[in-house]
Amino acid sequence: MTADLSRAALETGEVLIVERLGGGLLELVARLPHLAATAMPGSFAQLRCSRSSTPLLRRPFSVAWTQDDNCGFVFEAVGAGTRLLSELQPGDPLDTLGPLGHGFSVVDSGSVVCVSGGLGCAPFPLLINELRRRGVEDILVLNGARTATRLYPAERFARPAVPVVAEATDDGTRGHHGPVTDLLHQAMASHPSALYACGPNAMLGAVMSTLLESGADLPPTLEASLEAPMGCGFGTCLGCALPVRAEDGTSAWRLCCTDGPVMPMRDVDWDGLRALPGADVA
Amino acid sequence: MTENALEGIDLGRGLVLPNAVGLASGTAGYGFELEQLIDIQRLGALYTKGTTMRPREGNPPPRIAETGGGMLNSIGLQNPGVDAVAAAYAPRWSGWAIRVIVNVAGGSVDEYVHCVSVLESVAEVAGIELNISCPNIAQGLDFGRDPALAARLVAAVRAVTERCVIVKLSPNVTDIAAVARAVEDAGADAVSAVNTYIGKKIHRASGRSVLPLGTGGLSGPAIQPLALAAVAAVCDAVHIPVIGVGGIIDAASARDFLIVGACAVQVGTATFINPETALQVLDGLRG
Repeated sequence: MTADLSRAALETGEVLIVERLGGGLLELVARLPHLAATAMPGSFAQLRCSRSSTPLLRRPFSVAWTQDDNCGFVFEAVGAGTRLLSELQPGDPLDTLGPLGHGFSVVDSGSVVCVSGGLGCAPFPLLINELRRRGVEDILVLNGARTATRLYPAERFARPAVPVVAEATDDGTRGHHGPVTDLLHQAMASHPSALYACGPNAMLGAVMSTLLESGADLPPTLEASLEAPMGCGFGTCLGCALPVRAEDGTSAWRLCCTDGPVMPMRDVDWDGLRALPGADVA
Repeated sequence: MTENALEGIDLGRGLVLPNAVGLASGTAGYGFELEQLIDIQRLGALYTKGTTMRPREGNPPPRIAETGGGMLNSIGLQNPGVDAVAAAYAPRWSGWAIRVIVNVAGGSVDEYVHCVSVLESVAEVAGIELNISCPNIAQGLDFGRDPALAARLVAAVRAVTERCVIVKLSPNVTDIAAVARAVEDAGADAVSAVNTYIGKKIHRASGRSVLPLGTGGLSGPAIQPLALAAVAAVCDAVHIPVIGVGGIIDAASARDFLIVGACAVQVGTATFINPETALQVLDGLRG
């Protein structure tokens, strides 16, 4: 099936600010009227980091939030591309292609749990905004990170009314001392209609394992936003394959960029994903 | 130096490209994504993803790795198989102005012949590009490395098609001109050069290859001077049309290929970064 790219467009926006949130987290805000008007929860945009040919490839980022003509992106300067983005100044042009990708199935009733690990916070403000627009108010965010300074600030998950955010840090500097998956058991007691997760692929696998081991009924909507090194972002290079389970139980590849990045967690081959070497494009 | 024509590129056997700029195999799928992003009908040719006798799932990830001015890929010819292309994809090309040239790959002469035979009755297929040089499958490269093997393959395909047959040459050889001459003598109507260069990248934290199969195909602006030298050698060696491909990012880097004797070009990896590159190349060449 061919991906629907009808909303995607090249757009050169203008950087408004690159804000340092602490712990290395950065929030890039740019004026991008087309992207702001067309991004859906879970959509991503391909940002060009340089006008030269090194680094060559665009980098995919979730559209974290939109407000009027502006879009926010959350990231960390971990490689050549993201380092260049971190150095952008107000007024600099930002070359984007988007919105791209298959986003979240947004429910319109019941309670919702969002599980974020590290930079996995990125798609949730836009998702939560849309959930609220549809009348879903019972939203619990489980936000995990290595340490307190790397937790995306609770008030940024939604404005003006902040959802309930339960925090966990690996080193215990804020919230629960331990992985964010420790918070899942209690969260599932409310029998949420949807659970959405985003974070490193290993963390997403741990979320799925924890849910299965808990014996609780899985939420009807159970989706994760995954990541893979991407070449194009629009389904032609076939570079961003992720393992899924076909209906007959065998493993198959799906593209992160057009079949995902949001995929039903029941479909992902978590053992296969865990076995993959790490990503190399940052 | 004569001025290269940019319109009406005659590749032989009735295949005339509306203009000299095409989308390279493996970077444009079967056209259905890019047609949503750009006006692909303004371009001369779409060279499809490498298509094989049976569907292929492709290689395990990671399949790509970025390098200085380029990227390595090890996709492994993921494609739905020639029957699906003929039955499900080709009808969607009906009415397209851009010429669709199906890139065919295989592990044996019989597999290539089977694919080309299936496509022979498909009206929407304007021509065949023989991929004798995919570096990412077990047997695909041998045909491109050995002039005699390449000639045998081309002759076998020649026997089952009236269509224009373009042979895509591997740069991973000592003497690309020898392979070009061999496929010309065996009945190829045109050649395209070059496919990707074999490359390797080490994951520095682990000391292992980034790509699971060890190596991949290098593309992007980093290879343009290499590709240009190879295309110049091919142009000197054969009398059939030569299509230049490798690292084109703009009209200037495309014009280099026309200057050394290519009659048309393909834009590949640059489309990933900017889907409009091929259109910009076309407009730039027209000046």
